[in-house]
Amino acid sequence: MSPISPATPAIVGTEWTRPILPKVANPSVGSDLEGIAASGSPQTYARFGDVLTDLIRQTDQAQRVSGETTGALLAGQNVPVHQAMIAGEEASVSFQLMLEVRNRLLEGYQELMRMQV
Amino acid sequence: MNLIPGATSATQGLQAEQLRMEVISQNIANARTTRTSSGGPYQRQAVRFSEALGEALSGVDATRGDRQAMPRLEILPDTRPPVRVHQPGHPDADGEGFVSYPAISVHEEMADLVSASRTYEANLAVIRNGRALAQQALSIGRRA
Repeated sequence: MSPISPATPAIVGTEWTRPILPKVANPSVGSDLEGIAASGSPQTYARFGDVLTDLIRQTDQAQRVSGETTGALLAGQNVPVHQAMIAGEEASVSFQLMLEVRNRLLEGYQELMRMQV
Repeated sequence: MNLIPGATSATQGLQAEQLRMEVISQNIANARTTRTSSGGPYQRQAVRFSEALGEALSGVDATRGDRQAMPRLEILPDTRPPVRVHQPGHPDADGEGFVSYPAISVHEEMADLVSASRTYEANLAVIRNGRALAQQALSIGRRA
């Protein structure tokens, strides 16, 4: 099992860069988003499927980090308890996000199928 | 992906408080230790929080100066001199019959322990709050 760094959980490693967002009327928010979009190399997805795949991959990774951390804790390695709990919470919230996106997607699909032709 | 706001800093805070508690427990356990491997009584260990700059995580470039200040704990020896107690029969007594005890007040350590445990709780509260916020934000898209 790979050693777990106490400082930052491994989930942080893969960073999702924001896609370019349209300008917002609110000046403070707009400038902030602009700055973020300008600083990182914004990733543009060709298809929505790619976005979804990426989201699922990140959720899976969060789950794996949580599992590894908890496993290391239970195996008696020097992992603080809060680290394992926080990794679990991050995995849980990340899964909830994925679930919400999936629900909305399904809703859209069902709406489409109900359309009268 | 940084879904729980404040989790990174709070984790560092928890880490630091945990280490602080370990130092306090070491001080309490060695409050009457008169002999160590380096000779002389146990030296009380003090902690110092210093700011370590961690790179901001959520899509913000570190070169822009948006960094998160993380606490980092340094363990330093306390500078107070040992307390000399007249105990002629003690095996570690010097020529004049004085024994050097570490300058540790258990009451002071207990007060520190309370402070450490409350700060730990505060960091936990930050994480709990962050999780609740994230879950509430996710509930925006929910129907019915």
